[in-house]
Amino acid sequence: MNVSVTQTPQNGASRFDHVLKVIYASVSELNQQLPKEQRIEQTPATVLFGDGGRLDSLGLANFIVITEQKLDESFGFQIDLTADDPFSSATGHFRTIHSLATYISDLVTRKTEG
Amino acid sequence: MDAPRSNQNQGETAVKLHLISDFNLDTLGNCLANNDLSPRVTAQPAPFGQVFPTLLQPNSDPSDFALVWTLPEKIIPGFEQALNGEQVDETQLRAELNQFGDCLLAAQKHFRAIFVVSWTLPGYRRGNGMLSMRKSGPRKLLLKLNLMLADKLEDSPSIYLLDGQRWLDEAGKNAYSPKLWYLTKTPFQPKVLSAAARDLKAAIAAVLGSSRKLLVLDLDDTLWGGIVGDVGLENLRLGGHDHIGEAFLDFQRAIKALRNRGILLAIASKNEENIALEALGKHPEMLLRAEDFAARRINWNDKAANIVELAEELNLGLQSVVFIDDNPVERARVREALPEVLVPEWPEDKTLYASSLGELDCFDSAYVTAEDASRNEMYAEEAERKRARATITSAEEWLLSAQTAVKAEEFSEANRERVVQLLNKTNQMNLMTRRLSSQELQNWLSGGRRKLWAFRVSDRFGDSGLTGILSLEVDGGTARIVDFVMSCRVMGRNVERVMVACAVQYGSALGLEELQAEYLPTAKNKPCLTFWTSSGFGQKENRFSWPLRDPYPFPAGIEVDGVLSASSTSGGTAVSAQLDSRDSLPQLSN
Repeated sequence: MNVSVTQTPQNGASRFDHVLKVIYASVSELNQQLPKEQRIEQTPATVLFGDGGRLDSLGLANFIVITEQKLDESFGFQIDLTADDPFSSATGHFRTIHSLATYISDLVTRKTEG
Repeated sequence: MDAPRSNQNQGETAVKLHLISDFNLDTLGNCLANNDLSPRVTAQPAPFGQVFPTLLQPNSDPSDFALVWTLPEKIIPGFEQALNGEQVDETQLRAELNQFGDCLLAAQKHFRAIFVVSWTLPGYRRGNGMLSMRKSGPRKLLLKLNLMLADKLEDSPSIYLLDGQRWLDEAGKNAYSPKLWYLTKTPFQPKVLSAAARDLKAAIAAVLGSSRKLLVLDLDDTLWGGIVGDVGLENLRLGGHDHIGEAFLDFQRAIKALRNRGILLAIASKNEENIALEALGKHPEMLLRAEDFAARRINWNDKAANIVELAEELNLGLQSVVFIDDNPVERARVREALPEVLVPEWPEDKTLYASSLGELDCFDSAYVTAEDASRNEMYAEEAERKRARATITSAEEWLLSAQTAVKAEEFSEANRERVVQLLNKTNQMNLMTRRLSSQELQNWLSGGRRKLWAFRVSDRFGDSGLTGILSLEVDGGTARIVDFVMSCRVMGRNVERVMVACAVQYGSALGLEELQAEYLPTAKNKPCLTFWTSSGFGQKENRFSWPLRDPYPFPAGIEVDGVLSASSTSGGTAVSAQLDSRDSLPQLSN
């Protein structure tokens, strides 16, 4: 799914929803290479990585690359999702789809608002 | 458009594919495991970076497959020097390439087939731009290395070079991901590996002989633009100074290319037959003519019923058929009525027809033989035979009038590809339905007292080519027929009896006592049992035997030629059975 840059919302709440859509599109692409029982549910509460998470480190790396590409297509600029250690439980932004959407929304805000 | 093939059958045995690479291919393993298309593949990643040791001492079964996917700069150290701007001697590159190629050739005995991926470079490796294609430029060297590797592996019967660049193109500009390389030691993003998984499955299906063999086509708005019955042949859109007409002509070109590779063509069209045939015969830009099609049903009947008839006429199962029609209703009908038939979704945009056909991987084959190139003509000859047969009252009279000639020849380099193809594709007249790679067959023949002959068949209507195989194994005073395989194109023309008579003559020349054959039933080889039951051999359940003190009669009216040399199965004693059908005994009754 490509989310057009012209539709990129400006305010916080709708930006969060937009990021969520991009994440779901990435999940959908990643699911194609995951066994049926490991496929990721498209809900904010889904645990991605860490205890009870669906992704191992290889799966997370693939997910990061897919998501970065879709964010680039959607927002028109590159967003680095590995600047803060994605595998660290201390940062924890890849813990759930909701935490990831929050993290990305903050990155987008910083990029667009300087 | 995704190119569909059949989905996996429940209970289908998984093929094991060893992933041998100098980078991490675990994601490819996941893509293969989670791709629902047939065949089912279990990937076994070897430790990455261990290419040479794994190839030389694999922990594999001879029925396993292997994928060898390497980075050029890792496997050919001289290429890395070139990437770093150092001058590299071509002799060094050649020596390094030969070392890799020799290792692959040595490994072929461990696997049913090895797929080697051609080398690629990421787009950002510009190699000084303009200098990239000059002496020691990385792009020029990469082209050379790929060509040298292709040449090196050209004659291997079980190593296939796959085009890795195609997978990169499919994934787009981000095919290479430096981030993934640093994170996981995988240079490619998942889309590349998904494309690779699809092609690998098609390649394995091709080696296993399960590719599709028949393309059934609609006519109006599929082969040409317009409804010929309404607008007349002079107003069809085909060729000319018209973008749609050109697109249809290109589509016909793509179909003709498949035909030249041995894919059978047939027509299923709702039309008046005389009008449609007139268009095929008289339109000045028509590339495909009526004689290019092995069979046709041009009528107003249900297309699913017509497709069933076409498959029956051509002696093919429905799992061999692909149906292309511009009309979604017809596609849905055939899909629902005949789930074994592959019905690809078809674009509305006519300019995408040729490229959509090109994307189908269900026709992939491991080799193209002379028989493939002339297959459509052979079926046309068969249709002529059937017409002639209809005018002759008795089967015996017909067989005599056909002037059939059979030539027996030993297994050799010259017939190897066709023998392996026939062995792996034949279902109906197949005694044991052994499926072997070229290497496995070679290994089998070099162990014990074993022989294999190929049989070429022709008659007054044309040359059917190499269409029969018989192999046997000698044990003490007994010869046991292992492979008894015949193309459906020549079944029922007494060639079966010629093959048996040859085996008997051969066994007698060796002074053996008995010739045996054991029928292993499958879902499709009942015709083989029918033949053996009427062969005159003694029968106990599925086992058949013939005392070699008795000659087995060559069928009357068939000219047989060839020498069955027995030197390699007789423990060093050279014995030859000069085939001679002139002393034919009366034909056995059916």
